[in-house]
Amino acid sequence: MGLDVLGVSKTFDTRKGRVAALRDVSLRVGRGRFVSLIGPTGCGKSTLLRIVAGLVEADGGTVSIFGEPPERATAAKHVGFVPQSPALLPWRTVLDNVRVPFQVNRKADSVLGRRFRDPVEVLESFGLGDVLHSRPDQLSGGMQQKVAIARAFVFDPSILLMDEPFSALDELTRERQRHELLDIWQSDQKTVLFVTHSVPEAVALSDAVVVMSAQPGRVRAVIPVNLPRPRGELVEATDVFHDLERRVRSELRVAWNDNHA
Amino acid sequence: MHEETATETSALVDATDQSSEEHRLVEEDVSRGLHYWIHPRVWLPPLVAFGLLALGWQLYAVHNRFIIPTVPQILTQLVDHPGLFWRNLLVTLQEAVVGASIGMLAAFVLAMGMCQVRLVERALMPLAVMINVTPIIAIAPVLVLAFGFGMTPKYIVTAVIVFFPFLINSLTGLRSSDPQAHDVFTTLHASKWEILLRLRLPSSLPFLFAAARICVPLSVVGAVVAEYVAPGKASGLGSLIETAMSLSDLKTVYASVLVLALLGIGLSAVVVVLQRRLLGWHQTAPRRP
Ligand SMILES: Nc1ncnc2c1ncn2[C@@H]1O[C@H](COP(=O)(O)OP(=O)(O)OP(=O)(O)O)[C@@H](O)[C@H]1O
Ligand SMILES: [Mg+2]
Repeated sequence: MGLDVLGVSKTFDTRKGRVAALRDVSLRVGRGRFVSLIGPTGCGKSTLLRIVAGLVEADGGTVSIFGEPPERATAAKHVGFVPQSPALLPWRTVLDNVRVPFQVNRKADSVLGRRFRDPVEVLESFGLGDVLHSRPDQLSGGMQQKVAIARAFVFDPSILLMDEPFSALDELTRERQRHELLDIWQSDQKTVLFVTHSVPEAVALSDAVVVMSAQPGRVRAVIPVNLPRPRGELVEATDVFHDLERRVRSELRVAWNDNHA
Repeated sequence: MHEETATETSALVDATDQSSEEHRLVEEDVSRGLHYWIHPRVWLPPLVAFGLLALGWQLYAVHNRFIIPTVPQILTQLVDHPGLFWRNLLVTLQEAVVGASIGMLAAFVLAMGMCQVRLVERALMPLAVMINVTPIIAIAPVLVLAFGFGMTPKYIVTAVIVFFPFLINSLTGLRSSDPQAHDVFTTLHASKWEILLRLRLPSSLPFLFAAARICVPLSVVGAVVAEYVAPGKASGLGSLIETAMSLSDLKTVYASVLVLALLGIGLSAVVVVLQRRLLGWHQTAPRRP
């Protein structure tokens, strides 16, 4: 059980014609697995994530989140979504932003056996204990992104979907965030589908890296990452890590050439 | 993308602020109270502007005594008949405030309906446009016929004048919410009403205040126009102007205009203060000088 995507296709009708965003895409993310999606721009990574999140409807194929279609999974608050920008509510404090999931769709909360987290504890574990009552615009971009991740963690969804959450950060902050995310994930082992453009980020975080190619968007290769966990920052200096990076890069190059052949 | 442009703009704002350090200091002074108003930076610029205007007026007036009264004449008129102006001011104030409140509230409720149900927008927007293009001066006498000489037709005229600008701004504001925040709410399966209440409504506040800064002074114009065309009990500054005009009492006319101007400035100031209180989180919130 986990996330199962089977033969999903999606075509957008635009003024310039039809865009085949996804064709026959299948992938699976086992329970407690961290899987990254990487691929050239426009290959449909966001579209795939949005289909899984129930934000976009697929033309064909099936998506199953622990046995449920996206619509049912979101209705039960089983899906945590972290968009590309932090998308925090600027009029709320950090703490109140993280409380949003408890304030909407209350029906889903009455289900037995849900273990909600205490927003304060989650924020403290994210190293945001000092800014609980700050407004988002008083925080750095990296901190804002952490708040957005905390907002997705706090209601303990069965799957986390993240769309390039670190893309707006500078390289060093990005590396630090990556390892903080690793720590958080380590203590909790959530099922995660993670979209990124960064090869080291994909390798460092994931149990498997899915490389996609564009036009139409499809899965080009799935590269398992068998690095031991927990992974510290040192893992990025090992030869195994570099080998994996090279493999992902070469698949990416092929995927890129596919488009431009 | 959105975020980037936002930071860029705020960087620009900061840069034009001479020094944001100093800015913050002033901000702290404000919270300490009256202190702020004593600062010459606050009252000197408008005072100089008004002084120059009065000077120009005076220079022109002394050479054209039969067309416009001089500044001392206008002020004397005010001082000699404080009760007259005060009474009429209160009437116009009431018309403006009540009318604007009704108009803005109705516009906002309609905007929420339009935002929630597309069909409502399609059905009612043409009607709203129609109300907007109807020359209010033309229908005011009809309103008097329908509603009598009391305050009602004046409230209606004022409400109609503020209605459309507030409707369009409310609608734009309710639709201005961050689409990615919208995605987050949708994946939580928040209902349309929850999204309206917790996301769209707060997002619309900057637009509502921008609209209020246009509509509130506009409501004073609305009230005066209403008094002109629907004289009723012949009170209010508009009626006073009309009566004084027919008697060629220019001193009263211009004194009334001055009182109207002060009323407009006062009402605008109230909006600005509210905006500053409620909208501290937003970069459009007015900053202290
Ligand atoms: N709502 C939409 N309407 C029309 N076309 C769309 C829409 N969303 C995506 N597309 C198209 O589908 C294709 C895939 O887009 P998508 O955003 O999923 O790519 P991506 O892999 O996330 O790209 P990036 O790495 O730049 O974020 C693109 O060609 C895009 O133009
Ligand atoms: Mg994308």
